[in-house]
Amino acid sequence: MRISTIAFANLKRRKGKALFLVAGIGIGIGTAVALLSLSGSLREEIGSQLDRFGANIVVTPHSDSLALEYGGIPVAGVAFDEHRLTNEDVAGVLRIPYRKRLSVIAPKLLGAVEVEGQKTLLAGVDFSSELRLKRWWRLTGRKPEAADDVLLGYEVARAVSAIEPLPSAAGQGRPNGEHHPASEERFRIAKERLIVAGREHRIAGVIGQTGGAEDRMVFASLGRVQDLLGKPGQLSVIEISALCKDCPIEDIVAQIRKELPHANASAIQQSVRARTEAVERLTRFSAAVSAVVLAIGALMVFTTMMSSVVERTREIGVLRAIGFRRTHIIKGLMIEVAVISVAGGVLGWAAGLLASRLALPYFTEAGAQIEVRASLALFAVAVALSTGMVSSVYPAIRASRLDPAEAMRHV
Amino acid sequence: MSFVVVENVGKTYSDQGSRTGAAVLRNVSARLGEGEFVCLMGPSGSGKSTLLTILGAMNHPSEGKVHIDGIDVYALSDERRADFRSEYLGFVFQQHHLMPYLNAIENVMLPLATLRLGAAEKRRRALAVLEKVGLAGKAARLPNQLSGGEQGRLAIARAIVNDPPLVLADEPTGTLDTKTGDEIMKVFLDLNARGQTIFMVTHNPANARLAHRTLHIRDGALAPESGCPRERTSRTPADGLDSELPALTIDGSGDFDSLSGKPFGD
Repeated sequence: MRISTIAFANLKRRKGKALFLVAGIGIGIGTAVALLSLSGSLREEIGSQLDRFGANIVVTPHSDSLALEYGGIPVAGVAFDEHRLTNEDVAGVLRIPYRKRLSVIAPKLLGAVEVEGQKTLLAGVDFSSELRLKRWWRLTGRKPEAADDVLLGYEVARAVSAIEPLPSAAGQGRPNGEHHPASEERFRIAKERLIVAGREHRIAGVIGQTGGAEDRMVFASLGRVQDLLGKPGQLSVIEISALCKDCPIEDIVAQIRKELPHANASAIQQSVRARTEAVERLTRFSAAVSAVVLAIGALMVFTTMMSSVVERTREIGVLRAIGFRRTHIIKGLMIEVAVISVAGGVLGWAAGLLASRLALPYFTEAGAQIEVRASLALFAVAVALSTGMVSSVYPAIRASRLDPAEAMRHV
Repeated sequence: MSFVVVENVGKTYSDQGSRTGAAVLRNVSARLGEGEFVCLMGPSGSGKSTLLTILGAMNHPSEGKVHIDGIDVYALSDERRADFRSEYLGFVFQQHHLMPYLNAIENVMLPLATLRLGAAEKRRRALAVLEKVGLAGKAARLPNQLSGGEQGRLAIARAIVNDPPLVLADEPTGTLDTKTGDEIMKVFLDLNARGQTIFMVTHNPANARLAHRTLHIRDGALAPESGCPRERTSRTPADGLDSELPALTIDGSGDFDSLSGKPFGD
């Protein structure tokens, strides 16, 4: 017979109340675990989506002069570049220690050319990388495959009459000549061939209107453009998408700078900031909701323990009368709460994990997973234990302060 | 020398909203010798239970002192007084106050729960007192599986498992029928015969007649004692116990020299 024996016997005796408390703590912890697990997965999802959402690192040559801009990025070297990027630099980027974090490397050569008599920006790209990088492009036509295939930006295609509205779209056209958004393009390619820089090319496809620089550009294969511009092996810019969910993007940039001392490498801060902000908001939201639910759980433990103390006033009085110290009373109650809290923590962890797994498909794309992490289990039990203990401190102290003579008279 | 000395004890419970309180005990003095069996009688509300809880080191008197075995009980800190109760006192409550969720032997072991003793030693002691009160065969039963008399004996076993020098009993037969009450009184007499000091609050004159002395309390003050302490040998079941109970053999070895023989109180 020890104080713990009495505590366990009391738990057994008040199974209903104990189970109610376990359930209460379990719900609180379960909600917190589910939210943390879900937000963890969402964080990864958002992270990887934002990482995929275009380039977040741009490599350009060192230059004192700026001739043209590409997508808001100053691109040196189109006119007066002194240091040039070459195909070799792509290999250089692939030598950095963080190379496994690089998901897409899209080298480009840019140049101003005549297209059907109009000055237009021509970009030589590696189409497979470029299309992975520009996931928001909506292509009408096919992906370029042959060396003389080109993709036209929407404005260029219109200017050279390479597209015409579909009959249905023409009939239901929007007022004031408003353009359809890219996702609702209703046009067809009306031309097969086009003269670019004095040579005939086949129009493989047209990029739906994006509102960006690509609307006014023509895209051809990198080798072809290097040939057309007379710049074999040369590049104007290398766009890089880094899978940088938790890695410091600045470290990747630093490694690229070290590898390519003759080039400028910079992170597109806007993309990084947006990602960080989204993740932080999600984390803050999860933490706030978890805190509220846990506070409700703590209040429930508090009120239940207070009522339990009142209910057991006489019993506590008897224990005090037969020689139990105040600390013995506190110890007994705390053992009960600890057992309940640990059980609630384990239950909550399991329930939260299950709930987050069931809910995950509704929040993320297929493939996202909830990991079973020992650290989360320990965290759940620790939070449950501390919530239970803290909520029970006052009821336990109150119980220990019961005057035994008064308590014995309690009916 | 008296084992228990109560000196000019007064107790006033403060009334809410009033500066003056209700005096429950007034200038109470009493002495108990070691091995003595003293009963306290009085009408309801006269202060019996208050005096018992003050003797029980759990109700601080408003004035006066209580010495038990030479220790000024209320000079001790709250925690030390809890230790004192554990070491010196055994309580038998009117409604037994057994823990319904613990079986008989666990109830008996309750006062041992805070002591640094091995589980086997605690069990041995509990079984020994259960044997003493005739419940050795019912150690595994829950209180609600025992008769009223058995519950009373179990409460006594719990009170004496620490081998306390003083047992305090608050109307231990108050809720029992005569036969069961006699059964309980027999246990008390048996304990007293072995040298256990007992202070019992009772309403039952038959029980009081079995004690060495009876103190009377009225309106918070002890009435003067009349007559001399009864001879121990005069206490037999015929004094009030069921005739079927075995006659007690009381050797009269108690130390009465320490008793003043004079009435205490006002």
